[in-house]
Amino acid sequence: MESISSYVRELLINIHKNEVNLHMGSTLSCVEILTVLLTKYVKRSSNPLEKDWLILSKGHAAPALYALLALEGLIPYEELFKMQSIDSMLQGHPDTSIAGVDVSTGSLGQGLSIGVGIATWIKLRGGSGRVYIVMGDGEQDEGEVWEAITHAVVRKLSNLIVIVDDNGYQLDGRVCDIKPKYFMPFIWSTIGWAVILCNGHSVSSLISAIDRALVNEKPTVIFAKTVRGKGLKQIEGTDIQRVELWS
Amino acid sequence: MELADVSMRDAVGRLLCELGDELGDLVIVTADVGKATRAYLFGIKFPGRYFNVGISEQHLIDFAAGIAVAGGRPIAIAFAMFLMRAWEQIRNAVGRMNLNVKIVGTHAGFSDHADGSSHQSLEDIALMRTIPNMSVVVPSDVADIYRSLPIIVKDIKGPLYYRIGRDYSPRITNDYDYEFKLGKAYVLEDGYDVAIVSSGPILYEVLNAAKELRKLGVNAAIINLMSIKPIDEVTLEIYARKCGYVVTVEEHSIYGGLGSAVAEVLVTKYPVPMKLLGTSTYGRSAKNVRDLLNYYGLTAPAVAKSVIELLTMYRR
Repeated sequence: MESISSYVRELLINIHKNEVNLHMGSTLSCVEILTVLLTKYVKRSSNPLEKDWLILSKGHAAPALYALLALEGLIPYEELFKMQSIDSMLQGHPDTSIAGVDVSTGSLGQGLSIGVGIATWIKLRGGSGRVYIVMGDGEQDEGEVWEAITHAVVRKLSNLIVIVDDNGYQLDGRVCDIKPKYFMPFIWSTIGWAVILCNGHSVSSLISAIDRALVNEKPTVIFAKTVRGKGLKQIEGTDIQRVELWS
Repeated sequence: MELADVSMRDAVGRLLCELGDELGDLVIVTADVGKATRAYLFGIKFPGRYFNVGISEQHLIDFAAGIAVAGGRPIAIAFAMFLMRAWEQIRNAVGRMNLNVKIVGTHAGFSDHADGSSHQSLEDIALMRTIPNMSVVVPSDVADIYRSLPIIVKDIKGPLYYRIGRDYSPRITNDYDYEFKLGKAYVLEDGYDVAIVSSGPILYEVLNAAKELRKLGVNAAIINLMSIKPIDEVTLEIYARKCGYVVTVEEHSIYGGLGSAVAEVLVTKYPVPMKLLGTSTYGRSAKNVRDLLNYYGLTAPAVAKSVIELLTMYRR
């Protein structure tokens, strides 16, 4: 699985050489998270109650999702290099018109609420499907996140797993400078979520965290510590989102 | 279903209970206004399919979107005013994914007379109308609700905004015989001097205005535009051609509401002199709805006066 994530990372950097307008920092921080989810956990089915749902609530990391959907054979590989062009199916943010995309996102703070709705319906109907949601740490600023996490607990959604890509940055800079979020795990925990911390670039750490989440009777959030722009040295660990000029 | 003489919100609450028997996938979602919207009636009967998400309108809409995307048939019901704080959720989740979510906005217009400007939704039609895939239906009274809501919930797929009032609901359409069809306007009274287009409880003023106008020798056609989007372009064009003058009356801002929708059609199909009656500012508190209609110049005599003004302005 490490080789898949390395391949995806390299592929994404090559795509970025063709298309500058990608949110590369945010995309590269969640490569392992999405690789682990899509290659090991997310179960595909045409039955909405039996399939697993993956919602990329931090929709600006769409390129990482698309690269993995291409590996899965759901979208053509060549399409990746046309991403965001007028004749490409691959939109800047995930759209349900794209095969393998379960929910259209792009506006922060909405994915979790949608996931709570899906997980509630699955439970109501006795399905076995799970809902996986990948959020950003900056996204925690949105008020709707509060509305959703408090409701998920009331519904006792054991089939709901959230992974927060904790890369330490939001659009305007470091989260600790803009609005600190170190207290977030405590808040989710106090409300009634099972909270797990892990290394978001370590496949084994992610697997161990998700395996624990699968047997929880409460909804689970995994705070996965990551590095923004991981693997692209010009931007790694900085607030720079993209490489404007390749030398 | 038997037509009950109740308020609009009571009619919706009762109808949803009846529909819940028929439709096993029907789910009602509200945001701590279950009692005020009468959604709780469904909750008593079907507790497993009733969700109160708390005072969380943004989550309300996305939660309903999640249920719809997974195959359920959700209705999100809350005060029209506060559903509008979730405009972006309605646009980006419900509209963009073209989901089968019905959104019922209650306490719309002046119906929440006592609560005043913070609660009186006079912009919701405009906001909902701009969203691609979204339909907008404004029933005029309980009879219109009984005609339209079952069809909307059972047979119409996709996003739809349904606007109703709180308690004030004069009998308007009981004696008229028509069936609801999305995108169809209903000619309640035929006429040839002016066409008055309206929907919602304010249609009561329009019908009374027409009676006053008849005494003055003006024959007004009255059109119930229950379906504001999609809009019945054909009927509107026919009546613009036939009457030559069009007046719109709404319990909503004249900017972007029913009047604007009619004008958008006629300006390309058959432009005629028009007058748009409605609000252009915030509401205010009052002891009853009629005091507000009077204050904002939207009673039957005021409508009749505006019609005469329009006719004389151009006939001079």
